[in-house]
Amino acid sequence: MMGRFFGGVHPDYNKDLSRGKPIETMPVPGRLVVYLSQNLGAPSKAVVKKGDAVLKGQVIAESGGFVSTPVHAPVSGVVAAIDTFPHPVGTDLPAIVIEPDGNDRWADGCDVERDVDALSSAEIRDLVHDGGLVGMGGATFPTHVKLSPPPEKPIDVLVLNGAECEPYLSADHRMMVEHAEEILDGAALFARVIEVGRVIVGIEKNKPDAIAAMRERAAGREGFEVAALDVVYPQGAEKQLIFAVTGRRVPAGGLPMDVGVLVQNVATCRAAREAVRFNRPLIERVLTVTGRAIAEPKNLLVRVGTPFEDIVAFCGGMSGETGKIISGGPMMGVSQYSLAAAVTKGTSGIVLLRRDEVAQFVSDACIRCGRCVEACPMRLDPSTLSILVERMRFDDAGETGVNDCMECGCCAYVCPSRRPLVQHFRRAKAELRAKARKAG
Amino acid sequence: MLTAILALAAVALALSFVLAIAARVFAVDVDPRAEKIEEALPGANCGACGLPGCSELARRIAEGKADIDACPVGGAAVARAIAAIMGQDFAGGGVRRVAMVMCNGGDESARRRFWYNGVRDCNSAALLFGGDKSCAYGCLGLGTCAGVCPFGAIDMTGAGLAVVDPARCTGCTKCVDACPKGIIRMVPADRTIHILCSSHDKGAKTRKVCAVGCIGCMKCVKAAPEGAIAMDRNLAVVDYEAEIPPEIAGECPMKTIHVRKLDGLADLDAAAGGER
Amino acid sequence: MGKLVIIIISAVLVNNYVLMRFLGICPFLGVSKRLKTAVGMSGAVLFVMTMAAVVTWVVYHHVLVPFGLTYLQTVSFILVIASLVQLVELALQKLSPALYKALGIFLPLITTNCAVLGVAMLNIQKDFNLLETIVFAIGAALGFGLAMVLFSGLRERIELCDTPLPFRGTAIGLITAGLLSLAFMGFTGLVRL
Repeated sequence: MMGRFFGGVHPDYNKDLSRGKPIETMPVPGRLVVYLSQNLGAPSKAVVKKGDAVLKGQVIAESGGFVSTPVHAPVSGVVAAIDTFPHPVGTDLPAIVIEPDGNDRWADGCDVERDVDALSSAEIRDLVHDGGLVGMGGATFPTHVKLSPPPEKPIDVLVLNGAECEPYLSADHRMMVEHAEEILDGAALFARVIEVGRVIVGIEKNKPDAIAAMRERAAGREGFEVAALDVVYPQGAEKQLIFAVTGRRVPAGGLPMDVGVLVQNVATCRAAREAVRFNRPLIERVLTVTGRAIAEPKNLLVRVGTPFEDIVAFCGGMSGETGKIISGGPMMGVSQYSLAAAVTKGTSGIVLLRRDEVAQFVSDACIRCGRCVEACPMRLDPSTLSILVERMRFDDAGETGVNDCMECGCCAYVCPSRRPLVQHFRRAKAELRAKARKAG
Repeated sequence: MLTAILALAAVALALSFVLAIAARVFAVDVDPRAEKIEEALPGANCGACGLPGCSELARRIAEGKADIDACPVGGAAVARAIAAIMGQDFAGGGVRRVAMVMCNGGDESARRRFWYNGVRDCNSAALLFGGDKSCAYGCLGLGTCAGVCPFGAIDMTGAGLAVVDPARCTGCTKCVDACPKGIIRMVPADRTIHILCSSHDKGAKTRKVCAVGCIGCMKCVKAAPEGAIAMDRNLAVVDYEAEIPPEIAGECPMKTIHVRKLDGLADLDAAAGGER
Repeated sequence: MGKLVIIIISAVLVNNYVLMRFLGICPFLGVSKRLKTAVGMSGAVLFVMTMAAVVTWVVYHHVLVPFGLTYLQTVSFILVIASLVQLVELALQKLSPALYKALGIFLPLITTNCAVLGVAMLNIQKDFNLLETIVFAIGAALGFGLAMVLFSGLRERIELCDTPLPFRGTAIGLITAGLLSLAFMGFTGLVRL
């Protein structure tokens, strides 16, 4: 059953910097920037205006469509502004700025325990939506959409993603060590919604304490098991994880539900428990602040909307000369040009690298060595694809499968010519999207 | 001799009979006007009209699905010829339109907020925070427009700005579509006064990021003849229908107003009958 | 039967019309930029070549020879080929407008395609019977198709390479064609017809 997917790479993991640090709660900063784009899909629509007083957990922006989620005030306070701010994904996007009033008071109805056993699966799904849940591994796909598979695609396995294959990051690792019970509680809720009896937690072998903790808690639950996975990047990518724990292959362009699987990140599971059982919407998350350019690497529980600046200050500031600030992990994260961005529901970490750790290079022509082909876990041909993109032949790139690329960065990692392959593919995907939009 | 003629005639007759039947079976209706229109079009198949090629445009025009002046490269002369084929009147046109990059913020005057080390292409660069220019409306200077220009009419200056040579520009608008910032505009070739900025940011913000950006002070609006320059969201926009004296450039505190010299261009247009 | 096999091998490989006899170079260079159009062109040539071989054989043996008009061979053959090309053009325009557009001027040019005329003439020269004629024409057309497909595949790949500016387009195409031709010379002596 257990398999190892094709391709992948073995980057330096550097997880020792933060994996031993227990999750610490960061105090609420003086100003929170809550983006309206907290999920993949349609951005949410603001329902407050400047000057409005808001309570913690109150809806400040509602869903902008089916593939969208509401956004809640992470703290009680006053809306100071609604303006555009640099979003960690790499564009300037509108956000609601909230200045806390210091009381941190919950809105009515929030933070109240509910009898989960009495809930129907439709009710749980609605609560998941109302709680603003998105995939917290970084993709931020609205969770309620994943929980609504069409009837012709029956799901029989729920896979919990605890692989955390990105180098440096340890937030999910700490979460599993410290909150195993809560994660499994949330997973049980998901299992109830989609009516599956089997739940498999996939964890890379380099987190033995997390595997032990999860195994211990899963032992008493029927249908729950924990799978120790090979340590290879990108083990935590959805399709690779599914293959590793179930041996099923998701077809190109297909979804996990095509092979009867639903994947949820461990952090999302815990958030689901909070939202459904305690009516606490998703307003905070655990992230890893790490790298050799930060004074004190930490795993932090922070409010959504906390500016990076405050987080870096809380971790003792930068030490030495910083060469790169990355939101997310070093493989798939987006580098930031300043600390102006703020934490979103999908921010799994902030990595600060020293200048001498950051390679500056000029990319050369493709020498067709084929290393990228060997590394690509999606079995694409990055070499040919990148050349097609360079020649602006986006349609041909589409036919060659550029849309199957998940931007894991393995190809660029192994490329001896240092070609910016992923950037090429992002461009091609953007062009193809624009073309599809044009065609209607 | 007679047998030769008869024999060949018989073979030819037999074959033509086959062809006659085939012509009936495989008959395709082709509008004869479409063929004539295709001859009138430039035939470069550049795709500037948004269709796959000249023959496709010709077909559309013949069917009445496209305008007779839909070919931006051919201009008024071609439109007139097509109008004659279609039996319509064509009154418009006359002035050649050329592309112009509405940004003058080169490296010496506009700031860059980070060092971009990636694909040397504006569209790729714009995917990351909209590019490295501090001004969200500024020319990124990586030369994507110069690369797509089929006529070599766009040059990159040393300061990282794209500049269109109006003498070589045919007005095909390929660069307009290629620019991720949307700062290339089609302007009449015979106009001299241009405001080289596209920033809709408020004056204070523009001033912070660029030494030559329009700060929306309205000095030019007041100094120009009534309605010749209008404000559009903190940006002065020239109405190319109006006549504006070149002295207006002196009014601008940011030196954003550009007075283009028409040396040689007028001759060029005259040689082309003013309708290239 | 043995002779037919030899005819096929000879026509496809050893005496490949494009790469060994250097006939039909015009569409070989003209419509080989894309694999799709190359295959379409090969199909059109296959049809025209086979039909032309049959009709010219009939015309030669049942019209020209009985009347002692063999000196009209070239004229009558071109007449036949031109009509057949017209037929293909009409059919293509109706059945596959996209291919019709892609082939463009090269479709009517099959008329004067030396490969087609060459096949018709060689059939007479070699004194083939009707069956051999058909097999030889199909073999020659397959050889043409093989050359087209190989060459268009190469050109599609060359297009992705950083070719020095002076060599781009037809120049590198001709160099490639030359190398391909050299490679085909390796088949010399495989069979003797």
